[in-house]
Amino acid sequence: MRRAALACGVAALLFFAAFPFAWMITTAFKPSNEIFVSPPVFFPRTYTLDNLAHLFQQTRFATYLANSVLVASSTVLLTLAVAVPGAYGLTRFRFRGRETISATILFTYMFAPIMIIIPFYVLMRALELVNTHFGLVLAYTAFCLPFALWLLRTFFQSIPLELEEAAMTDGASRAQTVLRVLLPLALPGVVATGTFTFILAWNDYIFARVLLSADELKTLPVGIADLYNASVVDWGMIMSAGMLVLIPVLVVFLVVQRYLVAGWGAGGIKG
Amino acid sequence: MRRGSTGGTGALLVLPALLLLGALTLYPVAYGIWISFFSKHSFFPEQEFVGIANYLAVAADDEFWRSLRLGLVYSLTTIALQLVLGVGAALLLHEAFPGRGLVRAIVIFPYVIPTVVAVVIWKWLLNNQFGLVNYALETAGAIDEPISWMGREWIMVSLILVSVWQFFPFVVLAVLARLQTIPPELYEAAKVDGANALRRFLHVTLPQLASVLFVVVLLRSIWMFTKFDTPWLMILGGGAETYIRTLPIYTYQRTFAWYEAGRGSTMAVLMFLMLVAAAALYFHLWRREERL
Repeated sequence: MRRAALACGVAALLFFAAFPFAWMITTAFKPSNEIFVSPPVFFPRTYTLDNLAHLFQQTRFATYLANSVLVASSTVLLTLAVAVPGAYGLTRFRFRGRETISATILFTYMFAPIMIIIPFYVLMRALELVNTHFGLVLAYTAFCLPFALWLLRTFFQSIPLELEEAAMTDGASRAQTVLRVLLPLALPGVVATGTFTFILAWNDYIFARVLLSADELKTLPVGIADLYNASVVDWGMIMSAGMLVLIPVLVVFLVVQRYLVAGWGAGGIKG
Repeated sequence: MRRGSTGGTGALLVLPALLLLGALTLYPVAYGIWISFFSKHSFFPEQEFVGIANYLAVAADDEFWRSLRLGLVYSLTTIALQLVLGVGAALLLHEAFPGRGLVRAIVIFPYVIPTVVAVVIWKWLLNNQFGLVNYALETAGAIDEPISWMGREWIMVSLILVSVWQFFPFVVLAVLARLQTIPPELYEAAKVDGANALRRFLHVTLPQLASVLFVVVLLRSIWMFTKFDTPWLMILGGGAETYIRTLPIYTYQRTFAWYEAGRGSTMAVLMFLMLVAAAALYFHLWRREERL
């Protein structure tokens, strides 16, 4: 009885979460005469790659893809380059204002894009960084930084100080201690932080929409939104675009999902 | 490595992060407050000090109050549904069954996808002519003619559905993590006392979840009240715009369609103040509850 109820609940939950994805995938491989048909069919009678081909031939999907890869990976690099030393400084040194800084970081974590986008846009315009990928990377870095610092700080705090002290007593320099003792232990935390940063930058719509207007600079979420803004919506093409965008997300999600379920980092993706 | 021996180095290491946060987050917020007192075009540098004229104009603007009301309907409904569905799902996924790890991953996945993908998938499912949802409802005999999900009567419902689907996994994640740390002894003691499943949930699980639910409600409230991309993308490509024009949408339009950066900033500042006030009240009520 109890087992049956559990099975039903899990099945319903699974259906609700997963079915929309299944429908997207089968639609992506259907020819248009099977997409625009009533009653709908779940499995295509004939599988086709036309939708994917159209995506690359008729739209600038390849350009958007390259832009997204460039922007998201630059964001990860910049964020980690700033956040790893920052978190190290916050956990391994005592200095005036340290607690204030930590509180400020938590406070900025609460900011939503719509609250900063207007002055941010005016500022970027004044600096002539509108319509550049660099401006977008800066925006994402600022947006990801509070959480990256917070997560890395928690992670560094969980690594016992004694290990580093022992290494330094044995004559290792601070740089050697960081490279050979701390970073190997902190690596999972750094990877997880980088992954969350990547997902945020990869998924963002509003910053890219506001900061970029040149078509050749657009990232995937804006490019896809423009696709279905067209007068005749090509659902097969849009579903195949959605499917392709999800592939990198799925890959990095597999890396971090055990951290997510274990609890820390649930706030890693603001949304 | 004595802490405090080289405090200067520590501050130096934090400096780049602080500079970036200061220049790209704190300064813009302060600047946003500043330009809310100006009549300012979104593109051109001209600006003119107008005092609190923007605030008065916003207060007198019916559309502002309408968007605030729509925003509250949207955020309160989605938060309530996310909580119920999220806690329920977390309790299910906390049980032991084969394939649990995979099921957990699948249920969480919608939370990490780009909003644009969530919206296009559901727009296709809810398509009034070829959509699967209308077909299923018609086959089941629930409706006689197709529902126009993006029309004015249903678009808020559709928006809520998409948002709950995409964001309830956040609640699942947070609650699931907390459930794993509740000591099993508590349940055994309750069982010995003869408590049934419902009583065990109300008297053991729920009190243990209180602190995590407090944080979840706070974060979800902030993020749903300021949610821009989900409603905006629902509108694109033919949605009954004015029926889901929430406060973030209206703020965006004032700034980037009317080009009134000063007026837009005013609404962003008000949004921020409302959140601060609501958070203060929330903390206050929570503290009082704790003391009882």
